[in-house]
Amino acid sequence: MARRYDSRTTIFSPEGRLYQVEYAMEAIAHAGTCLGILAKDGIILAAEKKNTNVLLDDENFFSDKIYKLYDDMVCSVAGITSDANVLTNELRLIAQRYFLQYGEPMPCEQLVSWLCNIKQAYTQYGGKRPFGVSILYAGWDKHYGFQLYQSDPSGNYGGWKATCIGNYSNAAISLLKQDYKEEISLQEAKALVVKILSKTLDTTKLSPEKLEIASLYREKNNTKMSILKHEEVKRLIEDQERVEKEEEAQKKREAEARPST
Amino acid sequence: MSIMSYNGGGVVAMKGKECVAIASDLRFGIQLQTIGLDFDKIFQAGPKLYVGFPGLATDTQTVHQRLKFRTNLYELRENRKVSPKVYASMVGNLLYEHRFGPYFVEPVVAGLDANNQPYICAFDLIGCANAPDDFVVAGTCEEQMYGMCESLWKPDLGPEELFEVISQALVNACDRDAISGWGARVYVIEKDKVTVRNVRTRMD
Repeated sequence: MARRYDSRTTIFSPEGRLYQVEYAMEAIAHAGTCLGILAKDGIILAAEKKNTNVLLDDENFFSDKIYKLYDDMVCSVAGITSDANVLTNELRLIAQRYFLQYGEPMPCEQLVSWLCNIKQAYTQYGGKRPFGVSILYAGWDKHYGFQLYQSDPSGNYGGWKATCIGNYSNAAISLLKQDYKEEISLQEAKALVVKILSKTLDTTKLSPEKLEIASLYREKNNTKMSILKHEEVKRLIEDQERVEKEEEAQKKREAEARPST
Repeated sequence: MSIMSYNGGGVVAMKGKECVAIASDLRFGIQLQTIGLDFDKIFQAGPKLYVGFPGLATDTQTVHQRLKFRTNLYELRENRKVSPKVYASMVGNLLYEHRFGPYFVEPVVAGLDANNQPYICAFDLIGCANAPDDFVVAGTCEEQMYGMCESLWKPDLGPEELFEVISQALVNACDRDAISGWGARVYVIEKDKVTVRNVRTRMD
């Protein structure tokens, strides 16, 4: 009976599984989607905003999905927002401590790896539950250029060319497998992100209020992160809708041209 | 031998009309030996905020780095740049944290706040703040600088005049101090630009 082995994080089940970690990943599978694509001249992170209540005071906070960690790195989170706040705060502290000690920005993988070691400790010691957050990291460093990483509650992480976490992530990843090309440009990546999200999200129509797209790029020896403005997101969505309509019209013409059996 | 005069140097800041100026000498020396001529004790803390740390050179570097740590986190969490008053509070707070083993610097903060109003502030080594309406001085030549500033400064100086006044004050004060001088750098901060100028001084 699985129930008997749930109560402690630090215990294996008879099949060698860590149930608490798996349950944490369940929490994330119901959270707002986050999609990341590595382009040759930058990285795009897109997040589906689940809290689009009109009563929310959204003037005074930056975002509940996309966080800047330090000058060269941003991240997007999926899962329990309060857990995410704690982790992003810790990531910011880790990066600043590195900068204070070594006088240069922290390399991306080291930051991911450091936090993942902390996440792993919650699956082995202490009797506390794991963090219910998966994080997509987009960063640049002078050793390896642009990099995209994903970490999960078990403390495992990997480097990706394109990946997705949260709701409908499996559908998005299979679409990415077909549509992602090496050496994609930042502009093409923006269009690709909108295409994938429009096909996988459950709402019938994408709108700029539900979508947050951030791009990380280099300009004059500085890393910059910009959140795409409302108008640009709207335009990308409209372009995507136009492409979809043409594809449908094309399919219709082909179906009519074919003689019926 | 006083620890505050081990390296030598001086920083002065003045208020003008919708502008501030901050200036420092460039000497890096160890007691009586001069080693470097490009040791600027002034650092940028924001688009219109500058801070100088005269005193022990190692603490000049360390206090600047530790403050950068704190302001980086502030800017990430609050999603805005730190204002001069808040920055001054952070400086005083950091110094007082080391009340019984202090950093041997006497910081000087100069900047324009959100309404482009001038703000200057000076501290002693354990964080006592002093934010007057005219000028602040710190360093081994501070007594000389007090004299120069008191006689040259007037209220509501424009950016050009402020530059002349602060340069004369710094240069003449450093000339009367053996361990200050060897070049000077002046920053004039206005609402739309910051001008940095190197001033020629006696190189002795």
